[in-house]
Amino acid sequence: MKTLIKSVAISLLISSSAAFAETVAVITPYLAQPGTQAAIEGFEAAASDKGWDVNVIDTAGDIAAAISRIEDSITQNVDAIVINVDPAQVSAGLQSAKDAGIPVVGLDAGADPLLVANVTSNGYAMAAETSVYIANRIEGSGKVVMFVFDAFPPVQIRGVIADAVFGNFPDIEVLDRVTPDVSDGGIADSRAKMEAILAANPEPGSIGAVWAAWDQPALGALQAIEGAGRENEGIVITGIDANPQARDAIAQGGNFEASIAQDFAAMGAAAAEVVAGTFANKEQRASVIYVPTKMVTANNAK
Amino acid sequence: MQKLRQSGTLIGFVLIIAFFSFQLPDTFLTARNLLNISQQLSMLAVVAATMTIVMVMNDFDLSVGSMASLSGIVAASLFVNEYSIWAGIGAALLVGLVGGLFNGILVSVVGILPFVATLGTLTVYSGAAFLLSGGKTIFGRDIPKSFSDFSRGGIEVGSIKIPMLTITAGFVIFVCWYILEQTNFGRRLYAIGGNREASYLAGIKVVKLRMLAFALTGLGAAVAGLMYASRVASANPTQGAGLMLDAIAAVFLGMTMSKQSEPRVIFTLIGVLVLGVLDNGMTQMRVDSYVREILVGLIVIAAVAVSSISKANR
Repeated sequence: MKTLIKSVAISLLISSSAAFAETVAVITPYLAQPGTQAAIEGFEAAASDKGWDVNVIDTAGDIAAAISRIEDSITQNVDAIVINVDPAQVSAGLQSAKDAGIPVVGLDAGADPLLVANVTSNGYAMAAETSVYIANRIEGSGKVVMFVFDAFPPVQIRGVIADAVFGNFPDIEVLDRVTPDVSDGGIADSRAKMEAILAANPEPGSIGAVWAAWDQPALGALQAIEGAGRENEGIVITGIDANPQARDAIAQGGNFEASIAQDFAAMGAAAAEVVAGTFANKEQRASVIYVPTKMVTANNAK
Repeated sequence: MQKLRQSGTLIGFVLIIAFFSFQLPDTFLTARNLLNISQQLSMLAVVAATMTIVMVMNDFDLSVGSMASLSGIVAASLFVNEYSIWAGIGAALLVGLVGGLFNGILVSVVGILPFVATLGTLTVYSGAAFLLSGGKTIFGRDIPKSFSDFSRGGIEVGSIKIPMLTITAGFVIFVCWYILEQTNFGRRLYAIGGNREASYLAGIKVVKLRMLAFALTGLGAAVAGLMYASRVASANPTQGAGLMLDAIAAVFLGMTMSKQSEPRVIFTLIGVLVLGVLDNGMTQMRVDSYVREILVGLIVIAAVAVSSISKANR
């Protein structure tokens, strides 16, 4: 026990050197997500250019712990806090930060009056692009399987837009609106769900497309379709986020045809600009800052 | 040796506090930070204290985390349908009590091992939470302000404000302590933990008492779930999941401090404090969050190892 504490002490002394630099705590329950990782790396890169001292804290899915870590960072008197978690759920911590006069910036978090600003991609626009892509590819007619995740607000809004787009085509029928179990990352369970749907719809051509609110279910659906030997039925799959695995699949020119690349690194850099603005006492008017996105297809996937 | 075994964890706890106080002289041992810690720990403290009740009988309950999630979802679902706050809270507590009783029936009447029975109900309660919420997080205007304000409020004592969550946890801990240490019910639970067969032969109603104990643990999980939902002003079907393992770890840490290595509420509380103080202090010292997790696990193992090695040498 004692030696353990001693070794912790030594490692801490080494790590807690940088004095006087601005300190920024970055707090998220979702660091395991590749997008979150890229955004935070983008933030860290921009912050190191500015000479800030950044501490990244992952609470591994625990929202209440995110509040606790915000409170701890306030106690520690950091100069700014960046959060990647729904602000409505951590408003207890945000209120304490406001009372302590510490600015909090949202990094792909959600809009909230207690934030200086939230930096994100336009989820409505991304979902509109992929759902319209599908509607056009299947020529406005056919059955579509949707993979959604309404528990996470930034993904939930994507589903809402896709619902509206598909609902606007009288000959498009939403066959199923699936919420996969994401505890294993989302691919495996999406695959299993898609296998069941394929089994229930054995007629070739009976499924026109799979619209996924993010890439993992799209990859799972692709595996299911290929596993069932139904890759030549022309089932169109789209995802959102364009993660490396999705880009690979899209580049191969199979059923997975399109995804949307969010520029997470740019998001992190933009969040660093907002933080820098608060340090310089600049007025921040826009409460949400959108970072541009790009559609990824077989033409530009690599 | 016995003394070392019993006091090892306590010494470790004191060392941890001394270490953080030394490293963080301006911020760690301040009233504000200590109150913060007490508030951050309140939900875990409630689950761990009520978990102690079943662990006294050498049983345990793996379903507390999903029960906490479910209770938050039950309350929030009633709020969505415009029931009153008290109706929501009452229903959530009832679900906790009934769910706990169901665990008790499986373990005590049907005779399934607690590990298996509560692993099953863990999945059932978690599934129910997903079903009831449609997988969604219930948040925003659906959660009444006065419900989320509870966790933000406190009682002013002089210049400090004791958070309501801390007070709630203190009350639950006191009730658990009283039940286990001051009533016949509690003494019988310890007897069952000592020797179930002998307790039965001595005329203790083992089946009924185990059922009741599990019901209390379920109720405690529901209380913690409501506290959690109030703190995050939302209910999500997975949000209580992290509580279960930490609660069991806290009780194990506590057990290393008691004479017969049996769980005691006060020692469980110290176990909870060890976990919480580590989290708070290491965040302030800016230890990488993954390193923090490894250290917390190692400290639990170290404490239990010291205890069992010195027991073996006895």
